[in-house]
Amino acid sequence: MIEIKNLKKAYNNVTVVDIPSLTISKGESVGLVGNNGAGKTTLFRMILDLILPESGEISSNGEPVAGHENWKTYTASYLDEGFLIEYLTPEEYLYFIGSLHQQSRPQVDEALTALGDFFNGEILNRGKYIRDLSKGNQCKVGVASCLLQNPQILVLDEPFANIDPSTQFRLKNMLKDANKSKGITTIVSSHDLNHITDVCDRILLMEKGVIIKDIATSSSTLSELESYFGVGQTLGSAPVVGIDQEENH
Amino acid sequence: MVSTFIRHELKAFWRSKNTGKSIAVRITMFFLLAYLFGCILLAGIGMDKMLEFAFPNEDLVKSFCGIILIYFLADLLMRLQLQELPTLRVQPYLHLPIKRNILVRYLAITAVLSIFNLWPFLLFFPFIFKIIATDSGLLVALAFAVAIVGVSVFNNYLALYLKRRSNLNGWIFLVAAAVLILITTADFTWHLYSLHNISYAFFGRLLTMPALALIPVILGIVMYYFNFLYLRQNLYLENLTAHKVKRYKSNTEIPFLSNFGTIGDLAANEIKLVLRNKRSRSSLIIGLFFMFYGLIFYTNKSLGQGWFLFAGMYMTGAFIVNYGQFMFGWQASHFDGILVSKTSFSDFVKAKYLLFTVVSVIAFLLTTPYVYFGWHILLVHFVMCIWNIGVTITIVLFFANRNYKRIDLSKSAAMNWEGVGASQLLLTFPLILTPYIIYGPFATFKHPDIGLAVLAMVGVIAIVTRNYWIKQLEADYYSKRYKIAEGFRNK
Repeated sequence: MIEIKNLKKAYNNVTVVDIPSLTISKGESVGLVGNNGAGKTTLFRMILDLILPESGEISSNGEPVAGHENWKTYTASYLDEGFLIEYLTPEEYLYFIGSLHQQSRPQVDEALTALGDFFNGEILNRGKYIRDLSKGNQCKVGVASCLLQNPQILVLDEPFANIDPSTQFRLKNMLKDANKSKGITTIVSSHDLNHITDVCDRILLMEKGVIIKDIATSSSTLSELESYFGVGQTLGSAPVVGIDQEENH
Repeated sequence: MVSTFIRHELKAFWRSKNTGKSIAVRITMFFLLAYLFGCILLAGIGMDKMLEFAFPNEDLVKSFCGIILIYFLADLLMRLQLQELPTLRVQPYLHLPIKRNILVRYLAITAVLSIFNLWPFLLFFPFIFKIIATDSGLLVALAFAVAIVGVSVFNNYLALYLKRRSNLNGWIFLVAAAVLILITTADFTWHLYSLHNISYAFFGRLLTMPALALIPVILGIVMYYFNFLYLRQNLYLENLTAHKVKRYKSNTEIPFLSNFGTIGDLAANEIKLVLRNKRSRSSLIIGLFFMFYGLIFYTNKSLGQGWFLFAGMYMTGAFIVNYGQFMFGWQASHFDGILVSKTSFSDFVKAKYLLFTVVSVIAFLLTTPYVYFGWHILLVHFVMCIWNIGVTITIVLFFANRNYKRIDLSKSAAMNWEGVGASQLLLTFPLILTPYIIYGPFATFKHPDIGLAVLAMVGVIAIVTRNYWIKQLEADYYSKRYKIAEGFRNK
């Protein structure tokens, strides 16, 4: 589904992404982990044709993403609040996204009722513009707009970072459901190792722009990751969880 | 501590990505300010001559004393409109072990550092030291100087106090403006009293009792203290942030635009952008003010049709120019979202054409009362409206592809240089010059109406061939969009 060849990106001569080859097949659920500055968001931005790579190519369904628009019809993504139109109400925004995918309002309403639990009554008909919502609730709007698009590929950058624990568990189930029963290819990054190993079948570990580990999730994956991140700590201590401020450029 | 604050503020200014980084903006700003201050200083130096001219029968010092109060009333109204609230970004300091009083005092005292406080010095001090010092001695002159400083400080803090209060309650500003207008009309139109005399009653006494100069100083200190107290009580995040969730925001529909499918949706979103954000809203309101342009041009008999062209273009196209010059910076904060969404650029641009066409036609309809000055003026407006819809929009969008500066929608437009770059300055030339390049030759050879007809024709041709121009814009955009998106990500 997504194929990356010889991908390189550098800022001021510092390589931030360097991936010689990576293939993500249809129906896979891929988790991206790595410390701040590992190049996760930059990789996402290149997959979404928001920035140009120095060299190399990313293709989606056999067609390069750069300079083409077809991938937009089946790819839904939410990286940060910059993906939302902040002066619209959530309903206006979701109707708008729906209309881009030829969905009538009743269709959108129907899709949104299914998300009632996820929204937890904090999104719809609250009389707020998106800019007045908290970061966590903005994230909910972003994720909802992705699911609304019935995508084949779903790209989320740290969706667990700002949302409350209940929503985190709901989101995990939604992602699993999207992948397992709808066959959506999901690519998700997170700093929460528990969540990411729970949701994803394949984990990519990035360090300084390079994918240093590409593992199929098994019962030992979590401890493997914990031993990588838990620098100087005994095995099994608290995993690194945090909100990545730096990457919300 | 205070010196640390000052250092931080200076850093914030120089390191902000939008503070006139480009040389062109800095130079223009510098010249504008130098020009402004030069004018004021000239007025100050020549004040004795002007007063003699305005009040030929009165004593020079008397008429000078008479105008001071009137000046400060006007000054107050202007400050209310334009003076920015000095907001040290206090948020990062509130939780640190810094005494609240230090923060508040810093906020309150730095409020004096405003350009507005320079004006009275430039305007009045030349007169005080030229005329009063020679007439009545240095002591009286000093008393005048002290009094004027006192009134300036008082005005400064009064304006800020009113502004801070009106931040909490929108009505206070309206009330203050209404009161000031009432005070001045009561004098000049209804002649209930004379501000001139009231002003003289106080400032005239300074000549005999210089000690009275302390009164305005005391008033200024009291007003400062009011500010200080108010700030200390309200130094909470909720009171300091400008945009608060005040009332229920409802969904709005624009039924007319839903006939246009995706393009209509995009245009509707943009209308919401304009109406729901402070800065874009003010560009619309400024556009409405340009509607009065005609009154300047059409009442002046010495101006010919060449000027009408300009007035017509501006009145029907003010919004295109005012709002369009910052495109696509208005959408900077969600530009990434636009890039990954399933909207093609041609739809995106067509929505802009639709929006501008609608606004331009509405503006034309609003200018129809100018038919009072003759049918010909309406014809000129109509032609310029077509010209704007055909040509101006395309020029503006061409420059929009070259604009890499984001706009913070929540800030107000007054004195706001954010998002201004070379692209805006360059844009002005083709916008104003092109119609004259076409019209000029016909006008010089005494066939202005043929020139007008040619302008209309060019406009119509541009409208008919619009799809071609959209294709050109699209090709241009694809070569620049990464640069645009990167610029917009820079906060």
